[in-house]
Amino acid sequence: MLEARLEQASILKKVVDAIKDLVQDCNFDCNDSGIALQAMDNSHVALVSMMLKAEGFSPYRCDRNIALGVNLTSLTKVLRAAQGDDILTIKAEDAPDVMNLLFESSGEDRISEYDLKLMDIDQEHLGIPETEYAATITMPSNEFRRICTDLAAMSESVGIEASKDGVKFSCNGDIGNGSVTLRSHTSIDKPENNVDIELTEPVSLTFSLKYLVNFCKAAALSNQVKICLSSEVPLLVEYNLSGSSYLRFYLAPKIGDDE
Amino acid sequence: MARTRSTKPSTAAPAADADSSRSKSAITLVPHSGEPPKVFILPSKATPEARIVTLPNPRNSQPSRYLACPDTGIYEFKRIAAPKSEPRSWLIEASTDSDQAKTGDNASASSQVTMGSELFVATALDPLFLVLPALADAKASKGSEKPKRLFLSSDDHLDKLPQESSHLSEILRWDTTRRLIESRMSAVCDTVDAGDESMFRLNEDKLLEVIYQKAKRMSKSGLPPSMEDKFVNKVLEAPLMHRVVRTESQVTSNPNSGTSTPQADSATSQSTVSSTETDASSVSQTSTAATSVAGEQADETIASALQASPETVELQKLKTAFEFICASYIPSGLADTLKQSFTGTGGPVDFSPLNDYLASLEKLRSETMAVRAQDYSRKRNMDEEEDEARMEKKRKMEEEKKKKASESRGVRELKKVNTSGMKKLSHFFQKK
Repeated sequence: MLEARLEQASILKKVVDAIKDLVQDCNFDCNDSGIALQAMDNSHVALVSMMLKAEGFSPYRCDRNIALGVNLTSLTKVLRAAQGDDILTIKAEDAPDVMNLLFESSGEDRISEYDLKLMDIDQEHLGIPETEYAATITMPSNEFRRICTDLAAMSESVGIEASKDGVKFSCNGDIGNGSVTLRSHTSIDKPENNVDIELTEPVSLTFSLKYLVNFCKAAALSNQVKICLSSEVPLLVEYNLSGSSYLRFYLAPKIGDDE
Repeated sequence: MARTRSTKPSTAAPAADADSSRSKSAITLVPHSGEPPKVFILPSKATPEARIVTLPNPRNSQPSRYLACPDTGIYEFKRIAAPKSEPRSWLIEASTDSDQAKTGDNASASSQVTMGSELFVATALDPLFLVLPALADAKASKGSEKPKRLFLSSDDHLDKLPQESSHLSEILRWDTTRRLIESRMSAVCDTVDAGDESMFRLNEDKLLEVIYQKAKRMSKSGLPPSMEDKFVNKVLEAPLMHRVVRTESQVTSNPNSGTSTPQADSATSQSTVSSTETDASSVSQTSTAATSVAGEQADETIASALQASPETVELQKLKTAFEFICASYIPSGLADTLKQSFTGTGGPVDFSPLNDYLASLEKLRSETMAVRAQDYSRKRNMDEEEDEARMEKKRKMEEEKKKKASESRGVRELKKVNTSGMKKLSHFFQKK
């Protein structure tokens, strides 16, 4: 059986909020190392990969590998019942029909418990290799979100151009064009505002802004976002959760007749 | 007042046997060997000399039982029984004074239950029917060719009746019965006197008249309800659909009838409407007249012809009664010719109103059937297809709804995103 106690229910809430607009149904794969999730959107051009390591829970117990197939809209409805600082305990049998969610308010004077019906989801798993990216940009997640939403107002796609001068987000729409350029920036007072660009070679790629805006919903999870680019490979947008847990998004680049 | 007897003919010779066997069985309770007792209702005016006799049935010449009384004539037995679905039985208690006197102390023991629920009622029968097969014999045997009928004495005629197991010769020994039969014969026959004996020859016109009078009496006094329902009302009933049409047309043509009063009146009197007709039917009659005079479209006249006039109903009743008599008492060959001459043009009654009505009714029925069949098939086909389409649509709608409920707004909006030029992720990452 599975029993995973998460000190902050808000983590799961935010994760589900971030991905529920990308995928409809997905499996939470539980094993002794933690809870993992991998799912693609309907068009199969974007992929979300989540890993909640066992260390993030206290305690964490998973006797055997189980897949909890849930509809994310339904899970959202249940998680809406949780306060952000509630303690969340996820429980499931070894061959579960339902997933049990228990919310304890920090004062321990309120306990709410929900059973969510599970579904069988046939999902293909992709093996994602460790990739050495040509450019890795670390920046405040709010900044990335702002850039994406601003540019999305003008155009459907954004060109991301990483060079040794900085990273330039540019778009070209019907009403005109625009661009945002960020340079490396280090602040000792506010390390969360740091912009760090690691570059092995210049990269220029085009991506769908609608998808990027969607990814940015995970900004609440982490102050910093890591964006990794390489020619001819999907963009990686990674939000670090507590410890070594992460939420990663992959997006296929637009190739060919862009602009 | 009729007497009820619990035994087979108590006065007849075999009755003694039946009596003794019954009382014996009542005492010893051995299984009943003979026929179970039957319940008869005999006419009280029949004298004690009346006998149950076997005579050939006039319709099929099979030996049948009749009650012959030297004074009051001949009676046939009508069997009245409950339908098989409602089993009944008789409890017969022989406690009347006469029975007690006869069976003495066994009186109470002789009460018994019979399995059969039949009740046999003796009803008066015109002896004419009994001798009719003999009178018509030549005709029946010669077929269609007009036979040469000879004047024969009553004995010669009666000898032609089937002789086996017939008690006819016995009852003819009663003077009254012989006189009765001969008088009835003379009613349908041409007679000549040859010496002290009368010679008879069947006259079909006379026979027809006699049967007609019987049928008339029968229809006048009212047919039995079941018979009336089945052979009169049902036959004359018009298809329901057109009745509605009729009432509409009635309303529309009423002003017409008002304006053309003289014609309408004359038409009504022509059609000899009986005085007992209801208000509604008189309205329909006037509207008929009005529309026919005005020469309006055909469907309206047909529609108004649907209401059977009392005259038509009377004719149908008469016909039914006549056919019933023919079917029950008259040999089939003779019955056919009688029916032909009765309903034919030279018959005693003019059946043309009834025939006209039936013809128009038949036409109407076939039309209605055709229309209905068309309507029905077309409607049905359409219904089925529509139903299917509707169900399919509904199912799809529901699926869609369910799907929509399970996917978030973001997911729905992402579907609209232009993903041209974007390769699928499976192109970059290997499947596990």
